[in-house]
Amino acid sequence: MIRKKAWFLILTLLLFVIPLTALLLQSLSAPWRFHTGQGLDWGWQGYAILFENPQLWEATFISIGIGFAVLFMNVTIGLFTGKALVSYAYRGKAWLEALLLSPILIPSLAIAMGLHLFMIRIGLADTIWGVMLIHLVPTVPYSIKIFHNSYQQMGKAMMEQPHILGAGFWTQVFTVELPLLRPAIRSLTFLTIVISLSQYALTAIIGGGRVLTLPLVFFPFLDNANTSIMAAFSIWFALIPLSMYIIIEVLMMFLPYSRLPWRNHR
Amino acid sequence: MKLFKNKTFLLFLPAGAFLIIPFYGFLYAVIQSLGGEGFTHYHEILNSERFLSSVWFSIRTAGIATILSIILGLGFTKWFYPLLTHTSHRVMVWIPMLFPHFVWGYMIILLLSETGWMAQAFTAAGWLEDRSNFPVWTRDPQGIGIIITYVWKEVPLVILLLFPVYASIRPEYYALVDSLGGNAWHRFTTVDLPNLLPVLVESFLIIFSFTLAAYEVPALIGTTFPEMISVLGYEWFYGSSWDDRPLAFAAMVLTSLFLLILTLVGYFILSRPRWRAMRGNRP
Repeated sequence: MIRKKAWFLILTLLLFVIPLTALLLQSLSAPWRFHTGQGLDWGWQGYAILFENPQLWEATFISIGIGFAVLFMNVTIGLFTGKALVSYAYRGKAWLEALLLSPILIPSLAIAMGLHLFMIRIGLADTIWGVMLIHLVPTVPYSIKIFHNSYQQMGKAMMEQPHILGAGFWTQVFTVELPLLRPAIRSLTFLTIVISLSQYALTAIIGGGRVLTLPLVFFPFLDNANTSIMAAFSIWFALIPLSMYIIIEVLMMFLPYSRLPWRNHR
Repeated sequence: MKLFKNKTFLLFLPAGAFLIIPFYGFLYAVIQSLGGEGFTHYHEILNSERFLSSVWFSIRTAGIATILSIILGLGFTKWFYPLLTHTSHRVMVWIPMLFPHFVWGYMIILLLSETGWMAQAFTAAGWLEDRSNFPVWTRDPQGIGIIITYVWKEVPLVILLLFPVYASIRPEYYALVDSLGGNAWHRFTTVDLPNLLPVLVESFLIIFSFTLAAYEVPALIGTTFPEMISVLGYEWFYGSSWDDRPLAFAAMVLTSLFLLILTLVGYFILSRPRWRAMRGNRP
């Protein structure tokens, strides 16, 4: 067991922790030239030059805005559908689940290209609303899966009890289900934001280059920025889901039956 | 219970409304690929050398990346799942999931390109005479960079999907195999595999369809020839001439149909009675 643990630590450090640390170090020092025998040259230049770019801030705010909207719609759709799937017990359920998963199996590029003309016609092309809608395609199937699993673990009894005690639909959602769904909402936050931040092609097609999100700044940056700036930009991409996670965690404290850190508890 | 039934129906409404987006988009892609001219565009791309080599390259690259990710993820989870119960361990494994795919792809370029950290470090250590002797692993015609990026990024996802399954397998089953004289291989095929198979098939489908048709990573770390189908489709869509647009639609529709058939085959395998019986009474 100890040997196994040693192997586990070696592998995870080598494959996951060290690359992240290297990226962090590179973002805090001048581009590396080890072959010439130089050491690290520390400095904040990478971040300083990155933050001087006015496009970066605009894109960050737009990306965060889209991220929150997409997350909110994901939680709503995921919650209803997850709940419906556990209440539904008929034949053909496997096919229903396959149908709900299918949007991530069809290439999203095909969907975005197909919707492009339609979005122009109804005036959603080149707008932030159109981009939010198209970002639902690669995220919602995951949300439905996660919420479905959580509802299954919660068990039917937990859903019947509030019903018996006379709680209405929304009371039940807010006082029983949402507090128990907290772990699901946490994983959903990460997944949705990271997927939304990963979309270059979808955002470029539907946003028409007018909706400036972070990937649309990142790709052109590649050609004319040095490695320190790009490393800082890469770290910036990871900081956004982390900070949004903290915001969601704070918001979830206001759910009923949450342990508030400023209250005494046994 | 009629009321309850109606309520359940109402709960499916948001998902139904959502499904309109992808299905309408796909339907429109099919219509535009036909363009009122029948199958001429399909005929054209199926005779195009560029398209066919791109299809082969995409399926090969995505297939290798997916199979490697699943094997490595499965091995890692099987070997280490007792350790993964610690949150801190899981957090370390899931570091790559914090970054978008193309950012991780950029990290691969930093790490493994001919001017990258590895090449620099090996030169400094005297293992390489010159940095240019470092093998070409990024922007290479073999798709090695694409495969490395995807495997590195998807292995944590496979672990994330498989870990709950391993955690739910009751250890008594392994004891049963042991007492009946089975070895480690029997333990894997009779206990692990029936439980894992639905998740494995689903992971394969999710990862394969993503790696086959995603644009960002091949655009960043691939070459112009051979190119992945998504890069070709994007180029046709935004290309210099509008005449290429129907070709982009035809290429993406063909990719979608291929993936849909693969999905059907996957679900067909899963619903075979033998696998259902081996999973026991689990729904």
